[in-house]
Amino acid sequence: MSSKATIYSFLFLGLAVTALLIVAPVVYAVSLSFYQMDSFVGAPRWVGLDNYARMLSQWIFWRALINGFIYAFGTIIFQVVLGIGFALVLNQVFPGRNIVRGLSILPYLLPTVVVVLTFKWMVDGSIGVLTQVIAALGLPPVQWFESPGAAMASVILVSVWMWTPFVTTTFLAALQTVPSSLYEAAKVDGTNAVQRFFHITLPMLKPILTVIVLLRAVWMFNKFDVIWLLTQGGPVGATEHLAILSYKQAFGQFDIGGGAAVATISFAILSVAVFIYFRLFPLDTE
Amino acid sequence: MSRSLPRSAAGRIALYVAALVIAVYSAFPIYWMVVSSTRAPQALLHSTSLVPGPLTWEYYSNLLELTDYPSQFMNSLFVAVVTVVVTMVFSVMIAYAVTRHRIRGKGLIVGAMLYAYMFPPLLIAIPLFSIFAKIGLGDTLTSVIVSHLTLTLPLGVWFLWGFFKSMPFELEEAAMVDGCTRLGAFLRVVLPLSLPGLITVAIFSFLLSWTDYTYALIMIGSDANKTVPVGLASMVGSFDLRWGEIMAGSTLIALPLFGAFALLSQYFIQGLGAGAVKG
Repeated sequence: MSSKATIYSFLFLGLAVTALLIVAPVVYAVSLSFYQMDSFVGAPRWVGLDNYARMLSQWIFWRALINGFIYAFGTIIFQVVLGIGFALVLNQVFPGRNIVRGLSILPYLLPTVVVVLTFKWMVDGSIGVLTQVIAALGLPPVQWFESPGAAMASVILVSVWMWTPFVTTTFLAALQTVPSSLYEAAKVDGTNAVQRFFHITLPMLKPILTVIVLLRAVWMFNKFDVIWLLTQGGPVGATEHLAILSYKQAFGQFDIGGGAAVATISFAILSVAVFIYFRLFPLDTE
Repeated sequence: MSRSLPRSAAGRIALYVAALVIAVYSAFPIYWMVVSSTRAPQALLHSTSLVPGPLTWEYYSNLLELTDYPSQFMNSLFVAVVTVVVTMVFSVMIAYAVTRHRIRGKGLIVGAMLYAYMFPPLLIAIPLFSIFAKIGLGDTLTSVIVSHLTLTLPLGVWFLWGFFKSMPFELEEAAMVDGCTRLGAFLRVVLPLSLPGLITVAIFSFLLSWTDYTYALIMIGSDANKTVPVGLASMVGSFDLRWGEIMAGSTLIALPLFGAFALLSQYFIQGLGAGAVKG
């Protein structure tokens, strides 16, 4: 086989698989959003933009959109602040540093279901270890999921615990790239550690930090499993965001067109975000 | 860049306290999961002692003997292994072709891969479920594997693209001058040298597939075909909460990951730094 033939057959095979697995489902999903379908095997009926009009005219859609932004912003702020803080600590020299670095990654490895079940066990109403600790401190019992505000806070708390290690690890790796001569020079000039962080570390790491924030923003906006497992979108829709709404429409109400329309709208919102991302950070294809 | 020890005693103490807080914050829930899974029933419901014990294995034996857990564990393993193998084969081909040949619009191909990795899960799950239901493959492990590939394939191409890009072209050229075909050079030179990159892709693909809840929840209806995350979550919905068994089941899903991490942490951490990511 000639050199070119090998390359092209690789490319062709690979792209065929990608088209089948990724492009086709997306095209199909977008087209489903223009049909009415009451079951997954039933005959679709063309309704044009009706599904969009129907979903956009319901306040639960706008509530889901706002909840999605609250959840994404809430989780990102805490992940990034905690992650940077952890990375700065783990960048110092202390005995057992490698062990603490290893432990700090573990939450990121766990399946969401394990994290959620363990959290639910720890806050169990009577015998959970966190419930006991809160009681021992003389604080009033926490209703983790009963009120809308508390449920959103709990969902954010669990998500932050799970995904902070991504920021910690990436930021820690990036810290190694800042030349130590910069810090030495700043020390000679009599700056303190806080000034060095804001005037050297942050500006040097701004590009990587922007990438981290945008990637995490997209993923947090898309998260389904952690919210579904913790609250199923409740109480009374307080933690229901677009992914949950789309799932409930398609698989709960068998309104497949409506579910597809919501998924397509999320896709459009993300596309705008990704477009801005590529504008800010063009791909280096050479 | 590693700074020297803080000079003052107060600074050192603050550092140790911060490190301890990070360690406890990150590891305590995991520790508590393992402790709970081995604590005898009476104590489990009354004691919050941080010291393990009194020990029991009954949750594990209940789980393995009385529930679908063992078969669901095998389902998860099957799905993850097939996903890893298929991902590696195809992502190597695409990434190699894209880096080693002047193809117009290759930025588009690579960009599309990164883009695909950010698709909303329901955008993929709704059409896949519909397609599999129509062709009579609803509620099968095949449908779960295909849905996992929609995540792992873009990840693999994206990561290996970066990896091949940094591998000098001269190596294959030398082999080809010595009489190797392009395919021969690829198999004998490129593949062995890209082993670290392949290991990284395998780790992240396994992790994505093994920990997935969303796609398995949507694709699978019957208990017999559930993967462990979905099977375990449905135990919570049943009439009485058996926390011991639930924590034992959680520990068993987490252990393979921790074992692999202990052996392969260098690939994992380098991978994270080089653009391999898990949602």
